[in-house]
Amino acid sequence: MSIDDVLHSAVPPQDRPVVLDEQGQREVRRAILAAIAVPGHQVPFGSREMPVARGWGSGGLQVTVAIGGSQDRIKVIDQGDDQGVNAVNLRRLIAGTLGAETTEDTRDCTITQSRHRIPEQAMTDEQVLVLQVPVSEPLRPVEKSIAACERMHAEADYSRIWVAMYEDLVTGGVVNASSGYPVLVNDRYLMAPSPIPRWDVPRLDQGDRLTILCHGRDKKVYAVPPHTSVRPITFDDVPFEVEYARDQRCIRCGSTDVYLVETREGTYLCSDVEWCARVRTGDVDVAEHERQIPRAYYPDPAKRVRGVGIRLQGRSALGHSEHTGRTAPGEEWALQVTDLVKVFPGRLGSSPVRAVTGVSFDVAPGEALGVIGESGSGKSTMMNCLIGNERATAGTVRLAAVDDGRTNVLDLDDAARRRLRLDVMSVVHQDPAAGLDLRISAGGNIADRLTAAGWRSFWDIRQRAAALLDRVEVPLHRMDDVVGQFSGGMRQRVQIARALATDPEVLLLDEPTTGLDASVAAGVLDLLRELIAEREIAVVVVSHDFQVIQALTDRALVMHRGAVIEQGLTDQLFADPHHAYTQRLVAAAHV
Amino acid sequence: MSYAGTSKGGTSAILAAEDLIRVERAEAGLDSVDTGQVRALFGASIDRLMGEAGLYDEDTAAAALLQAGGDLPEATHLLRAHRSTLPRLAVSEPIDPDQVQLLRRVVPATREPEGPQLLGNTRDYSARLLRRPGAPDPLPVSDQLRHAQQEQPVALPHPDEPVRRFSAWMRAQDRMVDRVDPTDPEPFDPAYQPVVLPVSRSALLSAMAVAETGGLINMWYRSILGPDGYADEDVTLGDVRHVRAEVRVTHPHTGEPVAIARIRFTDCEAISHLDERGEDPARFDVGYGIALGHNERKTIAMATLDLAAQRYGNGEEGLKLQQLLMMTTDPLASNGFLEHLKLPHYVTFRSQLDRAEAARQEQREHGGGTGLLIGTTGPADIESADTPAGTDREGLPV
Repeated sequence: MSIDDVLHSAVPPQDRPVVLDEQGQREVRRAILAAIAVPGHQVPFGSREMPVARGWGSGGLQVTVAIGGSQDRIKVIDQGDDQGVNAVNLRRLIAGTLGAETTEDTRDCTITQSRHRIPEQAMTDEQVLVLQVPVSEPLRPVEKSIAACERMHAEADYSRIWVAMYEDLVTGGVVNASSGYPVLVNDRYLMAPSPIPRWDVPRLDQGDRLTILCHGRDKKVYAVPPHTSVRPITFDDVPFEVEYARDQRCIRCGSTDVYLVETREGTYLCSDVEWCARVRTGDVDVAEHERQIPRAYYPDPAKRVRGVGIRLQGRSALGHSEHTGRTAPGEEWALQVTDLVKVFPGRLGSSPVRAVTGVSFDVAPGEALGVIGESGSGKSTMMNCLIGNERATAGTVRLAAVDDGRTNVLDLDDAARRRLRLDVMSVVHQDPAAGLDLRISAGGNIADRLTAAGWRSFWDIRQRAAALLDRVEVPLHRMDDVVGQFSGGMRQRVQIARALATDPEVLLLDEPTTGLDASVAAGVLDLLRELIAEREIAVVVVSHDFQVIQALTDRALVMHRGAVIEQGLTDQLFADPHHAYTQRLVAAAHV
Repeated sequence: MSYAGTSKGGTSAILAAEDLIRVERAEAGLDSVDTGQVRALFGASIDRLMGEAGLYDEDTAAAALLQAGGDLPEATHLLRAHRSTLPRLAVSEPIDPDQVQLLRRVVPATREPEGPQLLGNTRDYSARLLRRPGAPDPLPVSDQLRHAQQEQPVALPHPDEPVRRFSAWMRAQDRMVDRVDPTDPEPFDPAYQPVVLPVSRSALLSAMAVAETGGLINMWYRSILGPDGYADEDVTLGDVRHVRAEVRVTHPHTGEPVAIARIRFTDCEAISHLDERGEDPARFDVGYGIALGHNERKTIAMATLDLAAQRYGNGEEGLKLQQLLMMTTDPLASNGFLEHLKLPHYVTFRSQLDRAEAARQEQREHGGGTGLLIGTTGPADIESADTPAGTDREGLPV
């Protein structure tokens, strides 16, 4: 069966039971074509109820009856076994509804429907493999919101998969993902390869056959067309491992390099029953199977992260950031804000608020600008508009790093704004929980930034995380502890390290020391002052506290009721405030 | 007729409603149906009822199902209310769930468990094709299928051997974490004891054993596609069993255990790799589910939730899960409270109407604004930079 054949199906004669009417079959075939066109992408379709329960192959069955006909020869396996009860049940149903022949010889089939295995026998470009899928969303283990998963797929934002693996590696030394190991298809879409064992994952890569994966319960179909790249997700320097029982062989056929399942005596059996039987009768093409063996991925404890064990260098590995502080051509600024306005419209229960009413400023590389104002002055809303958490009502924000400052960043869509936050613009929030995942380690929080920015070397990530954490004076022996167990000051230091991880050109500090005890805050302020001095970075510091502004910034704006009412060099503002409101702020700082 | 106009009208309305059911049934000739026929025809419903009622008697359950017209929550209610009329005469000896007669046993986690994979009475592997009474099998087993089976006997012949639970095999391999809890020796009885969180494991198991099947399944499924949830999606079942066992009580005179009844129950074990931070990733953990009668769906859900409850413990999330399991899964509580919405509520509703009227009156008299800012005209103007100190309209301290 070729892809062309997928378009055509024979109408079953009247004397056979129909499990899916012709309209339903067409819907499935349309979805399959879309799935083939966008490899690895989950295509939603109107999955219908089948005579088998959801989770028992209702998706695979819809595919097989939609693409199959009486001229086909169908093989059905479950766990690699043609005679497992579920395989027998499905075979009886498929053969009965299609009027098709069945076979147990993979070489002889046109369609193989399988649960949990790819046959050991290589399939050709004349054959289709239909895999039943119980869980189609590979991001589910790291994200439970379905809308968020869809956004992550749309933006190819898969960093959290790597972070989960980083966390596994630093706690247990190996990646815990077992069957259904996440793969990247065609270097674009993250895919759950139905729960086939890891053994079968490399065998999905560049195969001759068309593979269609269907999840009936979640109403999704996706495909790996022939000769498509399928790569297991892993770090460049951490080997992906298949299941392999060293020195074990099948007690029936003697095979070693096949997927083996354990018996209760501790011996092993081929999971692929057909293959096992044919090995015993010498009816296998050994040379061809040899090419399919995922030998490159056999486990080697010496290559695991603990076996490699690279020593962490701490801050000495930090070096100096590459970039020298970009400005817009002919200008001195890295960040320019002009006439920024934010109005929250009124609703029942809340009146309209003009929170920011035309704020303008610019910041040069190596410069720190303070924005001071009382709670409610509009400074946090202004900051949220810069970050992208709030949509500004009017105004322009330009970044030298984006299109040489020609683009108004406020016009970019949410996805582009999110990308800016990866390596151009970083934020340190007042509340560490807003900037950190408290359930993962300090190193993992930094790995999150680095993997999002494209880092794929475990050891580079680890060295960089260790260097940053050491620099912000988080003890390295705490690096692998969850941040939720850290003190407030320590969390803030981790957040600062994370914000600097990708050497951003603009750093936004939103009340960075407000939640901390005075002595802890003083230490964090000292650290921030040093970090700013070390870097050619444009910094905006928002605070209600003149001491913070004075400690960190060269210039400052005073905000009141959404507008800038006074600005100047920070020292001068502090020494000689003109506006009564500024005078009050200065007086408060002296108390 | 008004359903609650006066007490007199209420009585006649109730009697008329009961008559409707009685007459319909009599006209259909159903008064002669006996509980034996109900048991034979609707065994699955009977078992579900006994599980949710926590009362093992097939004839009583059949009578309840008949009286309820097949409405399972109604029948469960009848049985639970009946249970309240029964004195508790004795407490049985603990039943060893391994000293039983196997009616069905599947072990998904292994190909060859110790003892049989025994398919037993199940519709799992039959196509769900609607078949009118008397119609022929829409999927007759073809010669080709039968032939293939004869040609290739795949299973190794089974020696007659003692049955060992899969979790026991795992434990012997040192692949299981130890969950023995000596602080919970006597099982919690939800029929007699109030719930005070946090609860013991036996309380969670007791509550789930009589939980509503659908509610418990949904509690599990929420973890699969909901925005939150507790159960591990990556769970593998060990033993799933439907068994028959003897119930023994201590004889009041001899002091010896004597068998007084035989019951059927379902039990199930759910196994999960301990791959969360703080757990031992070299080991697995097991959750347990049990219910009276043949109730596989319920016991599988129960086992996954028991496993989740053990892993979450008494932490913040664990307490939330305990609250969900102890407080929201009882069939009488949830169905009863839902149905109470059908009771007359016009007194309380009148009170809500009054508040809505008051709000509308306010809107009419004072426009659309909702605040209490008397005399303001709109959004506050921005204070200009040259506003003299001390004239701040909102009275900022100076």
